[in-house]
Amino acid sequence: MSYKHLGSRNSGAPGWLFQRITGIVLIVAMVGHYILMHYTPTSGHSFASTFERMQNPLWKVFYLSFVVVGIYHGLNGVWGVVRDFKMKRWLSMTILGAMIILGIAFAVFGFMNVLVF
Amino acid sequence: MQVTFSIQRYDSSKDKKPYRQEFKLDVEPTDRILDCLDRIKWDFEGSLTYRRSCSHGICGSDAININGKNMLACQVLIQDIKKKRIKIDPIPGMPIIKDLVVDTTDFFAKYEVVKPYLIAKNPPPKERFQSVADRALIDEAVNCILCGACTSSCPSMWGNPNYLGPAAMLKAYRFAFDSRDEAPAEHLEAIDTSDGVWRCHTIFNCVEACPKEINLTWHISQLKKKMVEREL
Ligand code: SF4
Ligand code: FES
Repeated sequence: MSYKHLGSRNSGAPGWLFQRITGIVLIVAMVGHYILMHYTPTSGHSFASTFERMQNPLWKVFYLSFVVVGIYHGLNGVWGVVRDFKMKRWLSMTILGAMIILGIAFAVFGFMNVLVF
Repeated sequence: MQVTFSIQRYDSSKDKKPYRQEFKLDVEPTDRILDCLDRIKWDFEGSLTYRRSCSHGICGSDAININGKNMLACQVLIQDIKKKRIKIDPIPGMPIIKDLVVDTTDFFAKYEVVKPYLIAKNPPPKERFQSVADRALIDEAVNCILCGACTSSCPSMWGNPNYLGPAAMLKAYRFAFDSRDEAPAEHLEAIDTSDGVWRCHTIFNCVEACPKEINLTWHISQLKKKMVEREL
C-alpha cells in the first residue's frame, strides 16, 4: 500500500522537521535580502556596492546558505506535493530524479553567481 | 413546513452514472434527516438504500453528505440545516455500492494497518490501572465511532487514496498514547510511511466533519511531535 521513506533514517520525521526549520530560516533571510535589495537601493543593488559587499566572506556564506536552504526547502516542498498524489513508483522516482538534477543545476548556478565575486 | 430532498441515486450493478431524484416532504423542524430518509423509503421509494442501525449517533453507520458536508443523518435536525432544499449524497472519496451506501472495505483495511488494539505481553493481575491524567490524554480519541466522515472529507485522501486517512491516524494516537499499551512504537511505525501521517497538511476538513467533535488535526499533530521526539 505504501512505501517507506528514502534515506537512512527510514522515518519522515527529520524531513518534516527540517522543512519547518528551513522555512523559518528562509523567512528571516528573505526579509533581510528584500530590505537590502529593494528598500536600500543606494547600498543595495548597484554593481559597486554588491561587489564591495561580496568581498566580505560572511556575506558569501550568507548567500551560499541562502541558495542551499532555498533549493532544499523549495524542492522538498514540491516533492511533498508530488507524494500527495497516488502514482506509480516508477513515475514518482522519475520525478524525484528530475528534481535532484534540477536542484544540483540550480545550486551550481547559484554558487557560480556568489563565487564569481 | 415543506422541504425538498434531492437525493443522489445510483445502483452500481445497473446504472452507468448517478442521477438525482427529488422528494417533497412535510416535516417538523425537530425531525432528524434520518427520520426523513425513513419516511421517503417507507412511503415513497422503497428502493432507496442507506445504512443505519442505532439511530442515536453510536454505531457510525449513517454518515452521509448533506448540502456538501459530511454528517450523521441521525444526529442532524431539519432546523440545523436551515434550508428548504436539502441535497443528500453519499460521503465522497469512497466507491458507491448503492445510493447512499459506500464501500468501506478500504477504510477498514487502513484502520487495521495501525494495529488498532492494545498491545500488552502479559495479562494483567486484575485490571490495567490508568491515572486520571493518563486517561485524559485519550479522552477525546476514544469517542470515535468509525463513521468515516473525517477520512471521506479529507482532500489529502482524495488526492492520494493510499493515504491512511484521519480516522486511522486517530486510532494510532488512541493506542500510542494509551499508558497501558506496551508497544506504542508499533502503532507509530505503521503510520510513519509516505502514505501515513506526513500526508496530513492540517486542512481541518476532518475536524469540521466529525460528528463526535473530535479535534483530529490536534491529535495528528501530537503524533508528528511524538515521531520527531523519537527520531532526535
Ligand atoms: S474521528 Fe469522528 S468523523 Fe472520524 S471516524 Fe471517528 S467519529 Fe467519525
Ligand atoms: S444510525 Fe448509528 S450512528 Fe446514526
